[in-house]
Amino acid sequence: MIQTILDALSFGGLYGLAALGIGLVFGVMRLVNFAHGELIAIGAYLLVITVPSLGLPAGIVIAVVGTALLALLMELGVFKRLRSAGPAVLLVASFGVSVLLQRLYEVIFGALPLSAQVAPWMNGVIDIGGTTVTRGSIVTIILALVLLGGMWFFIDRTTLGLQIRAASSDFQTARLLGVRSNRVIGAAFVFSGILAAAVAFVAVTQRGSVDPLFGVNITILALVGTVIGGLGSLQGAALGGFLVGSTISLLNAFLGNYRVYTYTWLFILVIIVLLVRPGGIVSSKAAKERV
Amino acid sequence: MSIESSSAASTSAALPSSAVPGVTRFHWPELAGPIAVVVAVTYVVSSLGASSSFLVQGTLVTLVMVLALQVFIGNSGVLSFGQAAFAMVGGFASGLATAPVKIKENVLSDLWEPLKVLSMGVWPSLLLAVIVGMIVAFITGLFLMRLNGLAAGIATFALLMVADNIFFNWKKIGPGPQVLPQVPKFQFVDEALALAIIALVVVYFMGISRRGRLLRATREDGLAARALGTSVWRLRVLFFTVSGGVAALSGAMYSHHAGAVSARDFYLGFTFTTLAMLVIGGVASVWGAVVGTLVVAAIGEVLLRLEQGVEIGNVLIYLPNGARGVVIAAALVVMLIWRQRGLTGGREFSLPRFRR
Repeated sequence: MIQTILDALSFGGLYGLAALGIGLVFGVMRLVNFAHGELIAIGAYLLVITVPSLGLPAGIVIAVVGTALLALLMELGVFKRLRSAGPAVLLVASFGVSVLLQRLYEVIFGALPLSAQVAPWMNGVIDIGGTTVTRGSIVTIILALVLLGGMWFFIDRTTLGLQIRAASSDFQTARLLGVRSNRVIGAAFVFSGILAAAVAFVAVTQRGSVDPLFGVNITILALVGTVIGGLGSLQGAALGGFLVGSTISLLNAFLGNYRVYTYTWLFILVIIVLLVRPGGIVSSKAAKERV
Repeated sequence: MSIESSSAASTSAALPSSAVPGVTRFHWPELAGPIAVVVAVTYVVSSLGASSSFLVQGTLVTLVMVLALQVFIGNSGVLSFGQAAFAMVGGFASGLATAPVKIKENVLSDLWEPLKVLSMGVWPSLLLAVIVGMIVAFITGLFLMRLNGLAAGIATFALLMVADNIFFNWKKIGPGPQVLPQVPKFQFVDEALALAIIALVVVYFMGISRRGRLLRATREDGLAARALGTSVWRLRVLFFTVSGGVAALSGAMYSHHAGAVSARDFYLGFTFTTLAMLVIGGVASVWGAVVGTLVVAAIGEVLLRLEQGVEIGNVLIYLPNGARGVVIAAALVVMLIWRQRGLTGGREFSLPRFRR
């Protein structure tokens, strides 16, 4: 029972982090970034390749820097040139970038999974009041709390964070007031890359291997979380991701033999939430249709 | 869809529409042109040999799917990822109705009894697929078409995920994770060609119909259209249903083209390819759907041949494996940056003008 709750919390934390990374970029430029999954995948590739020879700390640094750089490259190479495009064009473009990177990974790293033990102690168990729980779920919860707290500090207490919030709620007015749009969007991409690296670390320790489609599943679910949480609201994105992750974990635990239908129930719930609250659970003013 | 930003940098979720507001009256070249191009390409390429003939047939199947996307996305401006779900429904309906009863009994032992004994010819099975596809699209559309913009996009995506999850696991209504084999194949390329032409005609006339024009009016300015008494929801449900029927036809054609069908044939890769074709050609016109399909299919085929190696004189030219996927995805991204309205710019086919 305790393990079920911890699993739900750690799954929720993981998807919350992924959804926050997507929500950051969505907030400042209305881009639903499908290619976030490929940021997670490159983070996992870098970890799997560097950790066995260079050790865990160096591997994490390389993964974080590499992922943030790829995120920035995406923005400079593609999305910067699509500033005037509507959200649907941006969505299709990010779909294209996502498939492009998957194919590139296939060419560079091969289609077969690469495996390595990144942090084997995460899979061990510890004893809490007579019940054993996996270390990984505890570490994931702590990591999610620390990163969410760090992001909160950054967004709420720094000038750049203030600019990101301003741009999220009204981009045009923020620009008029002297917020440098390219800098803010670039920063949002870099931070979404850092969050993607954190997600990659947790996911790759759980699965132990990485393939070109590594990030697709997490991203699809986190994306859905971002949308049902509330478009344009960062708290909403994190909350939505958390809800999707913990719902999956709970459905898996309670559906028993019918757990293959977890996604059916999850996505039916998603459609219901969207029908009841099209703007998301935490709907911001900026996302509402004005008449 | 906020009014204060209805300038060039619109924040509405609509895809970029044509600079020309769209077709309002019937101009015969707009229909005859694409048909002539499709017929010519079909017969020229299929005369090159059996493998080329198979390739053309597959392209025609894809063309029908891209037309299904065009009739809904192009006219309504709402992005939908869900049409592949209707192709899945159509493919299974048609495949199960035509595969030999003995095969179904041996391979698919868990199948629901009425589906096991169901047996009909290829043409009736296509009709069945269209009807089933339209029913499913109508019922889901009643709910999904209440949504706008990105919420609609994500909800249709959720529909695709649900359909994939159900068809991949529920062995009573289909092959589950297996492949349904021994579906009777089309004999000639003409059958797929005839069906593609029917789809072209249906999609074109839906676009120029009164309701098609009204739906495009809601795409251009949803509030103004609503203020004039248009029910956006009804129009979208109608076009979603028609699109579902055409998508189901494409799925059914796929099962008779490949001679087999499985759930993962209509998943993310299929959705990506067909959507990319539509966007590359130009979302706002039927001609765009045709151009996008033919261009992407041609590029894909050339790259495939290059991957296998082509000998020009004494030099063997070949691309590394996997280059094909990279180039097609890169082409989509470059196309979106270079021409956001696609190769045709969303215009319909027109004859070159010789007189001033």
